[in-house]
Amino acid sequence: MTPLTYQILLALADEPRHGYGIIKEIEERGGEGSAPSTGAMYLALQRMEGEGLIEEDTERPREGDDARRKYYRITDTGRARAEAESRRLAELVATARSRRLLGGTAAGGGGA
Amino acid sequence: MRIFRLLLKAILRWAPAEFRERHGEEYLEIVSKRLREADSRGRMSVWPFAARELAGAVTAVLGMRLAMERPVAGAGSATGGSSTGGRETMMRTMIEDGRQALRVVRRNSGFTWTAVVVMALGMGAVTAIFSAANAYFFRPLPFQDPQRLVLLYETNPDFGWTHAQAAPANALDWREQVQAFEDIALYRDLGVWDVVLPSPDGPLVVGGTSVSGNFFDVLGVRPLLGRTFTWEETFAGRDDVVMLSHGLWVRRFGADPDVVGSTVLMGSDAVEREIVGIMPEGFAFPADETQLWIPYGWEPEALSSTSYRRGHWVRPVARLARGAGLEEADAQLQAVVQELQARYPETNRVMGAGLAPLRDFLVRDVRTPLMVLLGAVFLLLLLACANAANLMLVRSNDRAREIALRSALGAGRLRVARQLLMESVLLSLLGGVLGLGLGWLGAIAMATRTRLGIEGATQIALDGRVVLVILSVAIISGVVFGTGPALRVTTGGLQETLREGGGGGRGTRSLRVAGLLVAAEVALALLLVVGAGLMIRSAYLLRSVDPGFRVDGTLAVELTIPSSRYPHRDQVLAFWDELEDRVEARPGIERAGMVGWLPLAGTGWTSQFQAEGWPPDRVGLEIVHRRADRGYFEALDVPLVRGRLFDASDGPETPNVVVINETLAREHFPGEDPVGQKIAYDRRPTEESIWYEIVGIVGDQHQVSPGVAPRAEVFESRSQDWGRSGWLVMKTSVEPRSVVSAVRASLAEMDSGIPLAAVRPLREVWVDSLRRERFILVLLSAFGAAALVLASVGIYAVTAQAMRRRTREIGVRIALGADRVDVLSLALRQGILVIGLGLLVGLMVSLVATRALASFLFGIEPTDPWVLASVMALLGGVGLVACYIPARRATAVDPVTSLRAE
Repeated sequence: MTPLTYQILLALADEPRHGYGIIKEIEERGGEGSAPSTGAMYLALQRMEGEGLIEEDTERPREGDDARRKYYRITDTGRARAEAESRRLAELVATARSRRLLGGTAAGGGGA
Repeated sequence: MRIFRLLLKAILRWAPAEFRERHGEEYLEIVSKRLREADSRGRMSVWPFAARELAGAVTAVLGMRLAMERPVAGAGSATGGSSTGGRETMMRTMIEDGRQALRVVRRNSGFTWTAVVVMALGMGAVTAIFSAANAYFFRPLPFQDPQRLVLLYETNPDFGWTHAQAAPANALDWREQVQAFEDIALYRDLGVWDVVLPSPDGPLVVGGTSVSGNFFDVLGVRPLLGRTFTWEETFAGRDDVVMLSHGLWVRRFGADPDVVGSTVLMGSDAVEREIVGIMPEGFAFPADETQLWIPYGWEPEALSSTSYRRGHWVRPVARLARGAGLEEADAQLQAVVQELQARYPETNRVMGAGLAPLRDFLVRDVRTPLMVLLGAVFLLLLLACANAANLMLVRSNDRAREIALRSALGAGRLRVARQLLMESVLLSLLGGVLGLGLGWLGAIAMATRTRLGIEGATQIALDGRVVLVILSVAIISGVVFGTGPALRVTTGGLQETLREGGGGGRGTRSLRVAGLLVAAEVALALLLVVGAGLMIRSAYLLRSVDPGFRVDGTLAVELTIPSSRYPHRDQVLAFWDELEDRVEARPGIERAGMVGWLPLAGTGWTSQFQAEGWPPDRVGLEIVHRRADRGYFEALDVPLVRGRLFDASDGPETPNVVVINETLAREHFPGEDPVGQKIAYDRRPTEESIWYEIVGIVGDQHQVSPGVAPRAEVFESRSQDWGRSGWLVMKTSVEPRSVVSAVRASLAEMDSGIPLAAVRPLREVWVDSLRRERFILVLLSAFGAAALVLASVGIYAVTAQAMRRRTREIGVRIALGADRVDVLSLALRQGILVIGLGLLVGLMVSLVATRALASFLFGIEPTDPWVLASVMALLGGVGLVACYIPARRATAVDPVTSLRAE
């Protein structure tokens, strides 16, 4: 799974969002400059839609929302894939910690 | 930014129709929003954003197209041989065209190489300059969220300050009161000072800098080991800490992680400090030479004294609070500034302040020179394109028959045109790759001479951005210079071409086009060579400026007398006296003296002053101060104009005396004799003011560069206004550097623990002060030379082509008895016309365009008639030679042979 795919799935995990909302969410977590270019995001969205990870959400979250905005929500497949990826990353982090690449409370930590 | 929007729309037009309908508007809306956000973060973040968005759009369009299974509709018809062609057909013809282009390019190695080398010259220049610009404008800064960092400065109309350092007390008030700043840190941005660090191999001199305790936190950088400073450590009592650079840690401590937490004796005063942390490799902000950081160590109660508001020597760097914009922060800052003006009229009466995004501020001095150089390489690239277009044109004439034949055999015109374009793009890409290599070598050569990139933050590097930009420029150039020839081939009548046996009839029109191209080349070359010529003449004038002191046969060494072993003033004074006596006794050294700060090395501290008896409103502003002794003036042959120099009788206990320079005498004592007058460094002298009697006037020494007029300056006696650090200057009767070991030996006889922090012949100081001018001079000269070569190649190629076409006519004329000289002049006439047209256009454009150089020129106007005239003569002459050689060759042939040429 590409980092961008994972980022988008993370952004959609709690609620459906539109394109700009996804970018803002990624920027909030990663800081300015962490979000992909608009084109890269749309390419990823198209691909993820094709793979069935996300789908368009036709329900508008608010009345009178801009009709041009397309909302996306995560599908069950998408959620399962994101969970699997999260587990994989968590294991990597645990390994990093045990090899003292990351401070923390895991075994052997606290050297630096 | 309108161009950006247009470009983006143009790219999106190629996206699949379904996507455009579904997301087109939303896409553009998102980009607009993000553009506004980028804009609010400062000018420097808009361009990278726009570039990234454009690249993103291209990727998206290509990606979607490739992912589509169905045949391409609409857009595809223009590219395929037939309108029913789908993606696969399109790909296949593209590959086929590519192969064909490769075949052609390989088969015609002479032509190929000429075109590739021409493009490589242009692209190489672009690569070199763009990689330099990249280091300043685009390379990532080694800070967290650098977009939120701003630098603050003080302004003062009375003193002519525009980006001055801040007074610490003012900066601390801003820190307290401006809510839009998350925090403000302070640092020293005047280069490093020398710190002596004891080491097993003798004392080591390293670059140190002072910072406030929150410096690393505000920049958002973390240590490799240990911790960074805390805000409390800014102040005396808690300030016995130090952070080391990665390099110093490796060099001095063998990368031992256990040094963190240990103490080290450092500085001339041998203060004991605890090493609290090691910074990661590559972090050296704010100066490349920074190897250790220590806190300021201010006395908290002293901060309220006037001196902390009068002296301006800290650079504040602020982090904007999340969500806070520049305008908001500026508005709040101005409110505090006004309050301080009212509360501290003595120091802040007209003191203003401003802020700028960190990167904008740090690159403000290089922006203009880089823009000028980018402009120059752009011209050079245009020249290369014109040249390549010309070569293509010549070639397409030769190939007209082959092309017509292919068309007749059923290749669509678009297909033929596309194939020609493919060839030119391929040539241009080859040139781009070669140019990338050449340019990178050039960039490395530049970087070894001049520091390129933001001090302590960015380096020149051949990164993805440079490669991407250069290859894109190469493709665009290929399209630019290939379009003309491609169009020409596809618009003419092909039967006509076949009948005429290879383009005889169309020759006149293509020659006209070629002639115009050559005229354009001459005009472009003129612009570049005029730029180079102006810099050369200006450099010549700069070199002839008398800096006011002896540049050759003089040497300066810097040292600090440590307080640990020489705690008292008298010991320090005696040390300087003895050191001067000892080195003067050495062979090859004729005279020695001491000065606090070298000439042509910038200005040290400045102040205002009043002379005794002046009315309150008469005041001298921004006078420069230096500490010196008699030996300094005598060693550097600085002439005494009036009065006397310092004497042995001017000691710490005798009345204060100063020597002033001629500019000060002229500007502040017009029509008076300053000698004998007394001055104090205050706007309004009080009971406590210290008075200095002017005893002599010496000749001006340029303080900044030979191109900058000397400023009013006061020299204090080093025996009265004494200091531990300074430069020992010597007049030598031998090569200056050859006495360095003798100086070291003399110093070691007195104290073996004092290292020389720097060794500089004054000639070197002089050369360094002209570094910026020389940098531009060297580059513009190189571009000018390249332009000359390119233009000559262009003129040569076109003349040769025209001559070849007229071989038969010339043969007939000569056979009929025409004088060869007449024929030759006939042949030259067209060349002269074209060159003349180019020179005229170039002259008119350069009269306007060279204004961009005005700020780098010394002693001449950008429209200097001598330069313009000589450059025009040079270009005209070179052009005529380039024209004469092929013409001469054509008229030299035997008429019989030339008649058979058909």
